[in-house]
Amino acid sequence: MTARSLTVSPARALRPVVDGFAGLGTHATFYGRVVRHLPTAVVRYWRHVLRHVGDISFGSASLLAGGGTIGVVFAMSAVASTQIGLEGHRGLELIGLSPMTGLLSALVNTREIAPVVASIALAAKVGTGFTAQLGAMRISDEIDALETMAVPSLPFLVSTRMAAAFLSVIPLYLVGLVASYAATSLAVVHLKGLSAGTYDYWFHLLLTPSDVLFSLLKAIVFALVITLVHCAYGYYATGGPEGVGKAAGRALRTSIVAVTVLDVLLTIAFWGLRPTLPGLGA
Amino acid sequence: MNLAAPPARGPVGDALNQAGLLLAFAVRTTAAAGRVVARRRLSWRELLEQTWFLAAVTTTPAVLVTIPLGVVVALNVGSLAGQLGAEGYGGAVVAFVIVAQAAPLICALMISGVGGSAMCADLGARTIREEVDALEVMGIPAVERFVVPRVLAAVLVSTALACLVMAVGIGASFTFQVAVLGDSPGSFLGSLTEFSRLEDFLVAEVKAAVFGVLAALVSCFKGLTAKGGPGGVGHAVNEAVVLAFVLVFVANTVLTELYAAIVPARGAY
Repeated sequence: MTARSLTVSPARALRPVVDGFAGLGTHATFYGRVVRHLPTAVVRYWRHVLRHVGDISFGSASLLAGGGTIGVVFAMSAVASTQIGLEGHRGLELIGLSPMTGLLSALVNTREIAPVVASIALAAKVGTGFTAQLGAMRISDEIDALETMAVPSLPFLVSTRMAAAFLSVIPLYLVGLVASYAATSLAVVHLKGLSAGTYDYWFHLLLTPSDVLFSLLKAIVFALVITLVHCAYGYYATGGPEGVGKAAGRALRTSIVAVTVLDVLLTIAFWGLRPTLPGLGA
Repeated sequence: MNLAAPPARGPVGDALNQAGLLLAFAVRTTAAAGRVVARRRLSWRELLEQTWFLAAVTTTPAVLVTIPLGVVVALNVGSLAGQLGAEGYGGAVVAFVIVAQAAPLICALMISGVGGSAMCADLGARTIREEVDALEVMGIPAVERFVVPRVLAAVLVSTALACLVMAVGIGASFTFQVAVLGDSPGSFLGSLTEFSRLEDFLVAEVKAAVFGVLAALVSCFKGLTAKGGPGGVGHAVNEAVVLAFVLVFVANTVLTELYAAIVPARGAY
């Protein structure tokens, strides 16, 4: 580590801020270009889109790393929702409302937990995978090679991945949602011993089609943002093998923050500042 | 130190191999930690640098994640509890959700996702450049030199970060509920203090420490077993992050249930 001088010139102090804005601008124009090239990419490279769909859903299935994205999304949603069931039951028991635990599954799982947890799983598995692939291509000059061969690298590499993410997130997320409903019900009915009929009554009373649709919309928005962020960090990776790994970490940080912030905004947009319980007519 | 995986035997065999290797790695690290402490050979410089690095990279994102989370909790709890006739339990739910669940989990996501991936990239790059092998040849065990300080740093930062997340999360929840939704601050604070216990805080700290250990172990293991070029390091980071997230979620459920079985819930109805 080099010794730092104690006096800092104002130009140097402002440097990180300016660099930060420059980085923000680079990424923003990157997102714009990716979205603009989306139609041409889908028409011209549809074979690659299909290949990426396969990669995203089942690809590189080492069983310990979750056996493909389906496995990771399923496992993380199920575990998180088991937690919702057990903790929710404990919490509602304090105020004597434990028979209403089904309500938590219908509301909290659908509106918040399932989209956020599935997106975190997606960011970890698919997102960092994208950063690693694109970063490795950038470091070994493969992206420049593509450009030299007159293949536009951005539509070919990034827009196709974005289209593939859009196609695969819908079934993946529905698997995650089903896993979370099943896990909560299993935890509450079989581990805590609440009657299945009571549970199902409250669950069905409060589960509305529009909620499920909004929840799916949330998951799609999150998935698209995750793809863009992770691809941008991979596409602009520098600094050798270590740089690729660091870019993956930075991308994950940015996408997790983006997902939680978007989650609040979408929740307020969909359900308002004072959400109501659909089944209680309140 | 031999961490090379035996030849592939299909997906199930691979998974078992990896699980066994990870377990062996954990045992070795524990033994190395014992040796390091007994012989007073802990590399303080490495520990300090890693702690500083982890704290520097995880604090801002953790706060940025916690504020929206506190708002979401307040948003859902504040009005829904009112419709169930449980007004004024907002503080209790916040104590429940943020202290016991969200704080350790956010720490774990940050330590494994942000810090762990950087650790894994660093160690992976050193491994494929054969720097780690060179150290071993010079008689410096990589586990003692690299892994033990990193695990300790992860525990230190994770427990400290949990406290910060709790403070910020409860603060955000309180501010939103009082300033935006216009609920009574007194009833929020009243139920918060009535339902929160010291045990909840302590178990959250224990959880945060366990998650720190898991995240650091997985990241170091994947980093030290990385192979093949830049793609290999990226791949190792990807696997480390996924594995750490899944392990942390499972450990969270197990620890919560153990705790609930040992300490009964309290609260006046």
